[in-house]
Amino acid sequence: MTRRSFPTALIALTASLLLVSSAALAQTPKRGGTLRVSYGNEIAHLDFHTAPGYEMMWVAMNVGCGLVNITPDGKFVGDVAESWQASPDHLTYTFKLRPNALFHDGTRVDAAAVKFSIDRLMDPATKSGMRSFYEPVHSVEVLGPLTVQVRLKQPYAFFLHMLAAYRTGLVLYSPTATQKFSLEERKQGKPGAVVGCGPFRLVEWVKGGHLVMERFDKYFVPGLPYLDRVVIRTIKDPVTEMAAFKAGEIDFIASFSPEHVDTLTAQSPAAVVMTGKETTPMLAAMKVTVPKDGKPMSKERAPHPIFGDLRVRKAVGCYGIDRAEIVKIAFKGKATPWVGMNPPGTLDTVDVNAMCPYDPARAKAMLAEAGYGPARPLTFEVMADTEKSVFNVIATVIKEQMARLGVTANIRLVDKVSWMNSTLQDGPWDMYVEDLLSLITLDSNAYLSNSTSTWSHPRHNDKRVDELYARYAREMDPEKRKAIARELQEFMVENMYWNNISGSPFYMVAQPWMKGYTYNAEFEVHYDRVWLDR
Amino acid sequence: MRLYVLRRLIQIVPTVLMVTFVVFLMMQSIPGDPVVALLGDAYTEEDAERMREAYGLDRPAVVQYLIWLGKLVRGDWGASILTGRPVLQDVLVRLPVTLELIVLSMAVALLIAVPAGIIGALRRNTWADYAATSAAMVGVSIPEFFVGVLLLLAFSIGLQGLLPSSGWIYLPGTCPNMVCGVSFWGNLQHVLMPAIALGIGRAAILTRLLRASMLEVIRTEYVTTARAKGLGERSIVLKHAFKNALIPTVTVMGLQVGFLIGGAIVVETLFAMPGLGTFGIDAIIARDYQQVQGFALVTALAFVVINLLVDLTYTLLDPRIRYA
Repeated sequence: MTRRSFPTALIALTASLLLVSSAALAQTPKRGGTLRVSYGNEIAHLDFHTAPGYEMMWVAMNVGCGLVNITPDGKFVGDVAESWQASPDHLTYTFKLRPNALFHDGTRVDAAAVKFSIDRLMDPATKSGMRSFYEPVHSVEVLGPLTVQVRLKQPYAFFLHMLAAYRTGLVLYSPTATQKFSLEERKQGKPGAVVGCGPFRLVEWVKGGHLVMERFDKYFVPGLPYLDRVVIRTIKDPVTEMAAFKAGEIDFIASFSPEHVDTLTAQSPAAVVMTGKETTPMLAAMKVTVPKDGKPMSKERAPHPIFGDLRVRKAVGCYGIDRAEIVKIAFKGKATPWVGMNPPGTLDTVDVNAMCPYDPARAKAMLAEAGYGPARPLTFEVMADTEKSVFNVIATVIKEQMARLGVTANIRLVDKVSWMNSTLQDGPWDMYVEDLLSLITLDSNAYLSNSTSTWSHPRHNDKRVDELYARYAREMDPEKRKAIARELQEFMVENMYWNNISGSPFYMVAQPWMKGYTYNAEFEVHYDRVWLDR
Repeated sequence: MRLYVLRRLIQIVPTVLMVTFVVFLMMQSIPGDPVVALLGDAYTEEDAERMREAYGLDRPAVVQYLIWLGKLVRGDWGASILTGRPVLQDVLVRLPVTLELIVLSMAVALLIAVPAGIIGALRRNTWADYAATSAAMVGVSIPEFFVGVLLLLAFSIGLQGLLPSSGWIYLPGTCPNMVCGVSFWGNLQHVLMPAIALGIGRAAILTRLLRASMLEVIRTEYVTTARAKGLGERSIVLKHAFKNALIPTVTVMGLQVGFLIGGAIVVETLFAMPGLGTFGIDAIIARDYQQVQGFALVTALAFVVINLLVDLTYTLLDPRIRYA
């Protein structure tokens, strides 16, 4: 090195060090600030163990804490559990809890609190939507102040998935506050009644107005959360949501309408649009059986007058629907045409698209075989609810595709509650278009598609489906499990018990100054590491 | 006069009862069941039946209505089936937002309609008249949500967020919650676009009506007499003609309150305002019968009370009108 080049090199080194350190500084999370979040739907109520809807779940995940969480790549990380151990026979799971975890009322998160919460979820009187997922749980034992053991009736391969991310996952409740306040007070979000152990404590919920959460200073992860406050507002209209976003009135849209993504990015080029693997199925369900005695939910079943015939189900659902065309029109190509029961982002999903190629000639032949044709044209009803405009678009495309087969599909547009009434209460319907819950595993779909669940709307009564689900859930060898998963998904297509159209894309949108958020679809929406860079 | 007011007040009772009864029967007859929304993912037929029994939803509609009425007489408006919150509490939190919206949208309507109606009548068949009547035609034809979206595009997106797109800031001293944005200027910014969106349609109707009334009045003999007496045009128009032309306009204003409440549902949803409109529509969608009844009750009460006030206004506008 020459005498002249040495100072130049020193300056360059200093400059690069400064650049590196300023870049590092820029990425150092800043504390404070209010995150302003927009939800597209109203929160139903605030009893986390019983309320329906994603909007409630995304509050529960921040006010509450659980035993474990799951990362986007499927790894389990401890939440209030410091470590856990499964027995060799997979019949017990022992969790060691963090010693410093507190509920927002100051009481300790201990083994007794874990037992209290799981017992509450399993109690039929609680009427929790999570209860069916706890079916494999035998009992919960307190082994020590910070050691709790869950005993299972049989091995359950997805026990940790269930604790982490089936619906809300396990949300621990403070036994003291839960016993002190009534269910009604918790539902209303009365201050002091909704007590979790998460990074934020609930300050206020005004239905139709806002929900406010503030940092819980004694959160068990030191230094977290970064934010002082999270304010959630409901903005139902996507145009208003876009305007509020562009004007900088909101920092984060927790679920954004896929139809408007292009418009939003054109208006706000700096917006951070987050999406990922498709985990929610979009289906055109067909009813398989109806009550023989005319009484809804009767165990005595008869085939549905139209779709009770497998040939008609296959003609219409398998060969008669052009999934690629639906995706192109309804989702502007932003989804995956998918015949299999579980969308491409679900664990152990199988591509069975080849089983149902679009083949109108074959569809017509099968319909003719079933006795339908020009002399006896097939007419059925497609029900679409008004919750998302895409349902109606899909129903319209199906109507058009059916017309190509000489089949008349009449669209019945209903509101969400009417749809729920018809489907849950075994009402009269032929086909409906809907996206159901986001599926993290194939196992989580049992609840929607086995032969016994109320939420299995087609009401097929094929016990083989239940048997395959049971085998799948109990099999601890991942390779063998994959084989069962394939068998199950192929069986569902062969019998058209689940007529899938595609995945349903999910979008979140953040302002460029919102940092630290980890996208994990609908399953995990956590604000504890979020910070505002402005 | 006092007797008249008393009689009208008594008449409010059967009117409101009729409205709430019809609404109750309509809610019962449309498909849907609040228990489905209440149980959500935990729905089972057995639990649903137990819930219906617990909430009295398995009883005949008339019995359910009478139970609701019985509670109402004791000052109990019932509680939301879904959240358990007292309905009256929710209504009282949301009513001021909607009242402010309605009052301001009517003010917007009058600010446009009064000058446009008068100018249209006085400058009949001129460009000013054509402009006013054409604008009125356009105003009547465009629905509130469309005006709202245009305003959003213009003032929230187009003009660098000059006006906030959504939400609500309370007037000082009116915050009903623990956490509120409170500021006079902020409140005005938040209510301006919704009030314009809601007011424009009313302005159009009132402009057409006022123009027609003014045309009729300025042709009457007493106006000719006033002119013959040498009174100034301003005095003739404002003091004599306008005051008399106002009577049908005020009547329609009263009737328009019902439409404003209906329009508030759309406008409040679009601008994400925490008012009675969004409360009502959410309640209907969730089939929350108790909340729907509360919404119907307060809407019916507002409508009949405002129309009573309108009737009483006639005596101020035309001293010849007397109520016995």
